[in-house]
Amino acid sequence: MNLETVIGALNLGSIYAVMALGIYITYKILDFPDLTVDGSFPLGGAVTAAIINAGGNPAAAIAASAIAGTFAGFLTGVIHVKLKIRDLLSGIIMMTALYSVNFIIVGSKASLPVTGKDTVFSNSFTRNLFGEKASDNAPLHSLFDFKELITVVIFLIVLKVLLDLFMKSKRGYLLKAMGDNPTVVATLAKNGGNVKIMGLAIANAFVSVSGSLFCQYNKTFFLTDGTGKMVIGLAAVIIGINIFGKIRHIASTTAVMIGAVIYTACVTLALAKFPANIMKLVTAVLFLLVLVLGQVKIGTLNFSSKKGGDKK
Amino acid sequence: MKKTKGIVSLITAGTMLISGAMLAGCEKKDDEMLTVAIGQFGEHGSLDNCREGFIEGLRQEGFEEGKNIEIIYQNASFDTGNCTIIAQNFVAQDPDLICAVATPIAVTCYNEAYEKEIPVVFTAITDPEGAKLTEGEVTGTSDALPVEEQLQLIRELMPEAKKIGILYTTSETNSEYTINLYKELAGDYGFEIVTKAVSDGSEVSLAIESIMDEVDCFSNLTDNTVVGQLDIMLEKAGNAGKPIFGSEIEQIKKGCIAGEGLEYFDLGVQTGKMAAKILRGEAKASEIEYETVTENHLYVNKAVAKSLGIELTDAVNERAEFVGEE
Repeated sequence: MNLETVIGALNLGSIYAVMALGIYITYKILDFPDLTVDGSFPLGGAVTAAIINAGGNPAAAIAASAIAGTFAGFLTGVIHVKLKIRDLLSGIIMMTALYSVNFIIVGSKASLPVTGKDTVFSNSFTRNLFGEKASDNAPLHSLFDFKELITVVIFLIVLKVLLDLFMKSKRGYLLKAMGDNPTVVATLAKNGGNVKIMGLAIANAFVSVSGSLFCQYNKTFFLTDGTGKMVIGLAAVIIGINIFGKIRHIASTTAVMIGAVIYTACVTLALAKFPANIMKLVTAVLFLLVLVLGQVKIGTLNFSSKKGGDKK
Repeated sequence: MKKTKGIVSLITAGTMLISGAMLAGCEKKDDEMLTVAIGQFGEHGSLDNCREGFIEGLRQEGFEEGKNIEIIYQNASFDTGNCTIIAQNFVAQDPDLICAVATPIAVTCYNEAYEKEIPVVFTAITDPEGAKLTEGEVTGTSDALPVEEQLQLIRELMPEAKKIGILYTTSETNSEYTINLYKELAGDYGFEIVTKAVSDGSEVSLAIESIMDEVDCFSNLTDNTVVGQLDIMLEKAGNAGKPIFGSEIEQIKKGCIAGEGLEYFDLGVQTGKMAAKILRGEAKASEIEYETVTENHLYVNKAVAKSLGIELTDAVNERAEFVGEE
């Protein structure tokens, strides 16, 4: 492992961080275990691969993914709120349906490559700026290894600021109130159900955008890209909130983003340094270590905070 | 005070990442040794055989692990995210050659290695063109099944049969390609192909029931998900008295009646020999066309044929390698 591996982990971690922001909204704010994620993540990838292959603009593909994700989350919300299906089950229903939807979007193929096509990570702009190959000369060639990271961090910061701003708006407060104490929303004469639907829609927009970035970064869409993504997102949220959530100067959204990077770092370390048969075991031990160490560190440093382990 | 806490925890996070990197940073490359990185998509019998064959192929050409090459091996456990991490790891270590076993990891390795022009040699990929693995420093072997021979075999053993049932997984690129080939060629042998797609292993037993009455026999691909459920398929088809034709020795051993298939170990050896050419500098990966299997094997399970009352013809008996219990 060397600097490039670390950058690789940061790249993927930052892409997962976008998804973690979405899962933070459903799991942490709305207290809604949203399984739609395993379908809406590849939905973003499918939309992106289809648009890019049709000659579309990669940035437009991200916007289209966001819209598709919003719609998926909206439907999960409607199934849950209007049809009164349990939260887990509404997610499962949407996840199941989205498998076929994704399949259809990419033209009934198991995978759709975007190799050789322009993506947000590799287009005429980035090629002029950083060069195309490691041996090229370009004005910012010293940053060649960082080009993907720079792009994804810019996206991440914009999305985080947007989410933070939204959380401070009237609707944002309603969303938080809905998770903490639904009666408050009712006393404000607002429809709590609609607030939930809105939350799910926004969350899945984030997840889809993450899927879109994942597809462009990997240069291929695979129908199985969504498998286990909910687990990754949840781990990121829990790691982030447990370690950094209690510190005043770090916003929850930042904590969750760092959580996603730590998650990816753990997996990278396990993959790179240990044999395949114990890889998952090592990953599990690393998570446990991170969570326990996080409690110890914060417990001794931050006297004003509550002791760890009290949050979900 | 409060700010310090924030900073301290940020540093903690940073240290975790960097310490991981430092742990390994001390590894130095020996000039005499060549490095070969092998990435495998997941734990799976055929893929393992491929990998072992690859190492054997290199050995036959004089590249021995520990002697003059160092082998780094990583396995993605069937997770496309892990494929990316592995590909990044490999490229960061700047190996002399990357061997990728199965499509998803080959695609990610190819994309990661493209900028640094590290040669990628793939194996166990059915349709390299569909996966766009044809341009640049990339070559390898395709495990495309001998579909035509398989259809011939079925016609020979079942002269009256009309419809062949095939189960496959929608998420497997290889199956999609092979199914299309089956549909294209079936007419030439007077067959009609009935397909049923599943999205995961648990659906296989339902899927086989759903087309059982319609078809005369089944033919199996190398579809990982479906092959994983072969036991239940054999039981259901056996009860209905319908044979399943296989595509690989392990399937015939388990109870498929017969099959024209390939030996994944041999495919690996073939791939290893191609890699050796590149390592010796005799040819660049971009100059070598990808290859398909050169030799097919006909495997027959006599006991199964007998229990289903299917008679083996002389032509089959002559070529067949018999497997399974007598």
